[in-house]
Amino acid sequence: MSVRELKIGTSWVRGAIGDALPPELVVNFACAFGTWCGGEAVVIGRDTRSSSPMLRSAVIAGLLSCGCEVIDLGICSSPLLSFAVRDMGASGGIAITGSHNGIRWNALKFFGSDGVLLSSSKSEELMDLYHASAYLQAPWDAIRPVAEAPDRIDRYLEHILSCLDTPLLRRRGFRLAMDFCNGACGEVAARFLEGIGCTLLPLNEDPTGEFAHAPAPSVSNMRQLSSFLRCIRVDLGAAINIDGDRLGLALPDGRALSEEFVLPLTALHRLAHRPGTVVTSLSTSQMVDAVARRFQQEVLRVPIGEGSVMDRGLAEGAVLAGEGSGGVAALPVAMSFDALLTLGIVLESMARRDCTLWDLTEEIPRLEMRKGSLPCPPAIVHRVLEGFRKSYLGEELDTADGLRIRWEDAWLHIRASNTEPILRIIAEARTADRADSIYGEAMNYARRTAFQSGG
Amino acid sequence: MHQHLSLKVTTSGVRGIIGESLSPQILTSFAAAFGTYCGTGPIVIASDTRPSRELVRHAVLAGLLSVGCTPVDLGIAPAPTLMHYVRTRHAFGGICLSGSHNPIEWNALKFIGSDGMVLPPNKTAELVDLFHQGAFPRVSAWELSRVKLEQQAVADHLQAVRRAVQEDRIRSRGFRVAVDCCNGAASLAAPQFLQDLGCTVLPLYTDPHRPFPRSPEPLPAHLSALGALVREQQADFGFALDADADRLAVVGSDGQPLGEDATIALAVRHVLRKDSGPVVVDMACSRIVEDIAAGFGVPVYRTRVGEIHVVERMRQCGARIGGEGNGGVIAPEINPCRDSFVAMALLLEALATEGGTVDAMRSRFPRYALLKEKLDFLAREIPTALRRLQNFFRKETVDRTDGIKIVWPDRWLLARASSTEPVVRVIAEAPTEKEARQLMQQAFECLRPSL
Repeated sequence: MSVRELKIGTSWVRGAIGDALPPELVVNFACAFGTWCGGEAVVIGRDTRSSSPMLRSAVIAGLLSCGCEVIDLGICSSPLLSFAVRDMGASGGIAITGSHNGIRWNALKFFGSDGVLLSSSKSEELMDLYHASAYLQAPWDAIRPVAEAPDRIDRYLEHILSCLDTPLLRRRGFRLAMDFCNGACGEVAARFLEGIGCTLLPLNEDPTGEFAHAPAPSVSNMRQLSSFLRCIRVDLGAAINIDGDRLGLALPDGRALSEEFVLPLTALHRLAHRPGTVVTSLSTSQMVDAVARRFQQEVLRVPIGEGSVMDRGLAEGAVLAGEGSGGVAALPVAMSFDALLTLGIVLESMARRDCTLWDLTEEIPRLEMRKGSLPCPPAIVHRVLEGFRKSYLGEELDTADGLRIRWEDAWLHIRASNTEPILRIIAEARTADRADSIYGEAMNYARRTAFQSGG
Repeated sequence: MHQHLSLKVTTSGVRGIIGESLSPQILTSFAAAFGTYCGTGPIVIASDTRPSRELVRHAVLAGLLSVGCTPVDLGIAPAPTLMHYVRTRHAFGGICLSGSHNPIEWNALKFIGSDGMVLPPNKTAELVDLFHQGAFPRVSAWELSRVKLEQQAVADHLQAVRRAVQEDRIRSRGFRVAVDCCNGAASLAAPQFLQDLGCTVLPLYTDPHRPFPRSPEPLPAHLSALGALVREQQADFGFALDADADRLAVVGSDGQPLGEDATIALAVRHVLRKDSGPVVVDMACSRIVEDIAAGFGVPVYRTRVGEIHVVERMRQCGARIGGEGNGGVIAPEINPCRDSFVAMALLLEALATEGGTVDAMRSRFPRYALLKEKLDFLAREIPTALRRLQNFFRKETVDRTDGIKIVWPDRWLLARASSTEPVVRVIAEAPTEKEARQLMQQAFECLRPSL
């Protein structure tokens, strides 16, 4: 059985370009969102993918048909869009971006008037409208021309620069290499770094949408950056995904850091200056817990996904929300994961302590993490998870998202992917041996159950 | 379902009312169906100036891109420009985004084949079939194309039309022309065209960013502002276009509209003076055309109402001139579609070569009283109403080429379902207005006994 490559999640709709994500479906979602926004102003932006102009047209058609005023930011990052929605007092925003997914994919990400990805309750209202096909239909004289916002980058930069110690950063004058993967962030990042007095050595900075490598800023996708770093002299290497919500960091000698480091590194500086709660996902490394403990702060864990993390973060008045994927939001400055602001915080931390990125990582206790996945059709995945829940009965279980088992020195998280027909298994422990054994045991069990269930 | 009463899917395209029946979903699917029908190549689009144009344009772009076509966007441009561009640049097809003469709340897609002509009925049927099947072969991210913007199309089209007539003779006359573009797709092109032909242009309603100031159908009743401008500014005559610039109406130097049937009559007479050959017009066209053709000893063929029917028949019999009673002039050697620029050029050339005024030229034809009315009808009631009419006139000569046409030696009556609106159009022509009015009255009584 072939699986339709379409995923409708909380606050987003993602699909493989082709039969899975036809423009009619995009029009329908735009109509549902335009209706949810009451036919008022909606800000849209897109990344550099070849499919984004098609989705943009479908989104504009749908929103206009509801009588919405459409403000088109053109090619822009998701955090910029999130800010523009708030700044312009719009009723919502749609980012057209496949984010960290490969070129084959694209998605709509829905933002509310607060610039935050729709929470699950708002998302339910939206899905209700979509499933009922109950859309506003504006008469001809309520169809407005599409508006632009030429000062969008200026306003956004003004905002995030005002939240950083710009004079300090300028005095320090970092040199850094950055890989943009030909995504939407080249221009805004160059201007941001100029604003904090950095010298930028760019890689894949053209917004061509022809990605030089897979866009998630993971260690394996930073190989090109690593080779680049070995040929130049800089203070730091950075990789940003297509729509600028995820950050990856690399040492000047070319060693790429796991994206799990981004949240604890940010917390190290943020919590020192702005104590408060940290919200993260069940799959994120516990390195951040060690940092938070140092500042006597709490770490709350919620199901995976920006929407879920941000939702809880706002409810708790947290100062930091983020995930192990490299997506971090310094609340309340950013209302969405923002790689540039996160990079700014890490750089500010290095400037304030007058230290290197390596020195910062030394302050974080090392943990061993194992991540892997197993192909598992949607029809079977729930049975496999149920099997796991029974076999780990008696342990400390969290079943908010798949299941997460916590031991004194380790944890294990098993869940169905939101984006692909696979089962994800993540284990972390203080020692490599312990991590290997937990991970290996879970993977073997998953393989066996999936096989028995007909997978 | 009440909502969809206003949706019309015919050989004239897909038409509907914005906010009621013409949803972005339908537009996107039809564009995807048309892209599938034409194949993965360049598909040209152009829109008129309706406020809903961005909605329609984006819905169509999304549909075309999704099946791997390369949309070539002419922006706001006349329908005949689009058709000229498709044919001369060998595009795979075209979609005209225009409600044409329909009121402003309407919009429509008109599908153009690679030959630059409206899709004929058999091809339209294939397209509609594709639409109903609903499964279009979408392309993957790697096969997606991008939208191309094209600015040159209008200039190319206007030049091609100018070259087909005696430009110098027209220029030497230095006509003083008022032109009413209804703020439509030719708002910039028509004044430019006339200027290039040495005319002093008095523009009226030429702001494409404002809504239509009058009904876009260039009927005599809608041309009072143009008439006043012609009188006040002492223009030689006035031209009025519809929203997508395929139809032309003429106003005389006294400010009086000559009637849309005069446009085709003047064009037919001028072309026959240059070249003998058959003439093709639709069923709704005045019998003036037969009178003129008789003078030149050439036959007149009548077809169903609708541009493509006339064009196809013209192709079959090699006619050089033809058109519709509504002001649509077709000269296939210049552009095989209704083209108001061709109509303007032929009229200017006729005046430049023959001398005299439009009014004098018009007075050479016999005058008939031609009345046009429309009755609102639900689609399901139309066949019964037409049957009542046919029964009533069963002893007369009835022509069922299109709707019901009853023909007497000196007069005729036509009732047919419109292909663009949910109405029955009734047309009566007779030697006097009183007689035409009587025919119309009889028709109304048959169609709507309750009235």
